[in-house]
Amino acid sequence: MGIQPTELVVSNTDEPEVKSQDVAGRSPTQIALDRLRHDKIAMVCLAVVAVFVLIAIFAPLLTDLFGVELEGGDPVTDTKADSFPAIGPPDYGFTWEAPLGLEPRTGNDLLAEWFYGARTSLGVATFATVAATLMGIVIGLVAGFARGWLDRVIAFVIDIFLSLPFILVALALAPIIVSRFGAQPERLEFVQLCALLFVLSVFGWMTLARLIRGEVLSLREREFVQAARVIGVPTRSILFKELLPNLVAPIVVSISLGLPAFVTAEAGLAFLGIGVVGIPSWGQTVNRAVEFFSTYPLFLYAPVVGICLLVIALNLLGDAVRDAFDPKTRR
Amino acid sequence: MRLKKPAVALATAALMTLAACGGGSGTGTDPGSENTGTIEGGNAGSGKNPDAQAPAEVPEDATEGGTFTVLTVNVPSTLDPTQAYYTDSTAILSDLVTRSLTQYAYVDGEMVLIPDMATDLGRPNEDNTEWTFTLREGLKYEDGTDVKAEDVAYAIKRSFAIEELPDGPTYQTTFFLDGDKYKGPFQDGTDYAGVEVNGNDITIKMRRPFTDMDYYASFPAFTAIPEAKDNPATYGRHPLATGPYKFADYKPGTSLTLVKNEFWDPETDPGRIQMVDGWEFKFGQDSAKLENVIINDTGEAQTTLTYDNVTASGYRSIQEDPDRLVTGTSPCTFMWFLDMTKITDINVRKAIGYAYPYRAAWKAAGEIEGVTRVPGTSILPPGTAGRVEYDPLGIKGVNTDPEKSKELLQEAGAMGYEIKFLFASDDALSVQAKDQLVNGLEAGGFKATPIASTLETIRTDRTDYDSPINVRSSGWCSDWPSGGSWFPAQWSGDLVGLEGMPNPSNFKVAEMDALQDKILDTMTPEEAAAAWGEFDKKMQTEYYPAVVTGYSGTAMIHGSKVGGMENDNVRGMPTFQRMYITE
Repeated sequence: MGIQPTELVVSNTDEPEVKSQDVAGRSPTQIALDRLRHDKIAMVCLAVVAVFVLIAIFAPLLTDLFGVELEGGDPVTDTKADSFPAIGPPDYGFTWEAPLGLEPRTGNDLLAEWFYGARTSLGVATFATVAATLMGIVIGLVAGFARGWLDRVIAFVIDIFLSLPFILVALALAPIIVSRFGAQPERLEFVQLCALLFVLSVFGWMTLARLIRGEVLSLREREFVQAARVIGVPTRSILFKELLPNLVAPIVVSISLGLPAFVTAEAGLAFLGIGVVGIPSWGQTVNRAVEFFSTYPLFLYAPVVGICLLVIALNLLGDAVRDAFDPKTRR
Repeated sequence: MRLKKPAVALATAALMTLAACGGGSGTGTDPGSENTGTIEGGNAGSGKNPDAQAPAEVPEDATEGGTFTVLTVNVPSTLDPTQAYYTDSTAILSDLVTRSLTQYAYVDGEMVLIPDMATDLGRPNEDNTEWTFTLREGLKYEDGTDVKAEDVAYAIKRSFAIEELPDGPTYQTTFFLDGDKYKGPFQDGTDYAGVEVNGNDITIKMRRPFTDMDYYASFPAFTAIPEAKDNPATYGRHPLATGPYKFADYKPGTSLTLVKNEFWDPETDPGRIQMVDGWEFKFGQDSAKLENVIINDTGEAQTTLTYDNVTASGYRSIQEDPDRLVTGTSPCTFMWFLDMTKITDINVRKAIGYAYPYRAAWKAAGEIEGVTRVPGTSILPPGTAGRVEYDPLGIKGVNTDPEKSKELLQEAGAMGYEIKFLFASDDALSVQAKDQLVNGLEAGGFKATPIASTLETIRTDRTDYDSPINVRSSGWCSDWPSGGSWFPAQWSGDLVGLEGMPNPSNFKVAEMDALQDKILDTMTPEEAAAAWGEFDKKMQTEYYPAVVTGYSGTAMIHGSKVGGMENDNVRGMPTFQRMYITE
């Protein structure tokens, strides 16, 4: 790629500044992290995400701390005749017995549900992101480096997966799993979780794979790769030792933008009734709370705020990471 | 009659239609407090009035004009009069579009059977093997042509075409002459000896005594269908109207628009009025959204109503304006059918009855006790003639007693007995109810194994003999006002092994089967009614093949300008035929 005259000028003006800082040996990643550290929005978002991660990890401890119990409600004693909670909102004031109130109909505690919902949300999103990223990296590297038929086959597979409607596949898969494992309740939960992770991962790797393939296509003709091939470095080493380090930036960016997308996807699927039965999830809570919007808004607000806050924080953080890793942006 | 949806996630309109509820006791509610109070239990029927005179009285606060909007979550499966067997399709057709030989009218909180196209409620011969109905003069179709007795005879013949027009009521095949042989006009032609026409007289011949023909004649299948205009595949898209409204536009699954039928003459109809200009039915709506629209009551919503049962949230919101809530009953009983071939020990079966978490499961499933679900212990719902009140477990059908359950299990040496039941994993309410059932059963000393299914497949899974379950959640609704439409249809040993599992408990006891035969073959209708009540008690006390989990109730909301909307306790639907816009 040729250097634009304007960029040349910009980098020229920056040069004296860099020199004066006396940090000669910094890697691009170090520079990016340093930029990130000075981004106030990014730091706030990071703090928010960190809080959610802590909630997710320590959900059982937190529920104990607040003295609440997951799915411990008794409809007969915890709700009134019209199915509304017998303590706390919407009919009575705030109570420490149920800080976020009880769920109508079942009397289950909503704070415990919220904590464990955060756990499901982040857990599923993290796993799916890692799996999708790994798949994307490997397939992208191979496709980019292998010339000829393998490249074409992989490109074709990527196109196929991009053309499959994700929601449809998820909708179709759910009843199949139920009918296959319905009679084994103890395995059903596990299988449903696996299926959810599978669907999310399998439909999440294509963009990254394409991106990496493109990068590899341009990198593999560069001198250091040519040199490595000439001296007989095995392909695997070239892929992972020579090429991969140069791809850190797009991968980090992809991860940071993939996380919020998976959080939303998990909640969306749970709202549609696909997902894991028996594991609390914000999406499922939203699904049950919609009809109570006018009479018991807190029931709906808690999971919605959870999803919004987490997704916005992750998205802004992802944007900041991208900006930090992109050498073309200047702040 | 069968419930079409799993009982835990049941919408009223999904119940199959229920005809007839005469006989028996009084209402148990007074109409004045009906809107706000809870229901004592079950429906009632004050029977018949063969002398009802046309035209029907128009209430004083009724104004002419306007259009009703009816929003519902449900989608009627068909609007062909012969096939209509669900509460929603029968109510829409019978109340507004297609007239039958007889009909129901709302009188002081009860549904009364009155004449419709016929001049009276039919005249049976001495042993009830021949019924004669006389058609009124001046009946016209929506295109202005006259309704002829031959058309009614053709509609009756058409109801035998079960292959071409499935899922409709099938009593004609059991009771009518040659009902087991005649396959309808499309296969066997219109030569059928069971129906004779003589001028305006239509005579139906039976092969065995049929005392409830007058009730059965109120089904939409007993309307008039001109043979020349019939095509079984498409007739349901636009059945010819004989009632006050006709189809203007029908998009199956989405909407139905009805407009005035100017050829309907109030002087021929003792039950219906024609005050509004039209009806707009919108099917497959979102429940939270439609409740919100009706509760907010602005603009068009003032003339909007629903026939879906109100949710807990909507029930609370409407309390500010209780006049807009219509409550009542429908004669259905929900049951947990215990598989007699698998759970062989009666102590274990009774223990299930003690352990069943009645209130918890109802609440978790979204039911409101006393409004949409009424506790009870007899299989026959209130309002059935000859019904006997009894309480085999002494817990009034609500007071779960885990200690007693454990005691019985101990006695039977079956501590930790495994109960397997179905739930729909894609329905939030079903999942919640399942959790409560597991809690309740485990507190009672059982091991509970919920088997996951989906809303799509739960019905076939439930009626599959090979399903790995030993308990089936379902129910039954009245067709006739006596036990004759209950026990031979669901508790006869002959039904065990039949397709569709009509006897969900696999209840086959020689003694009880002999008793059924005795009641059916030797008793008069009056004796039989009482005998069925005793049969109910004897079966539940001595064998306990089912846990009665309450009777159905109805709670529907409507806009502030909707007038005349009451609960049709035969179907659990609004009384469409007498509704108008107020002011």
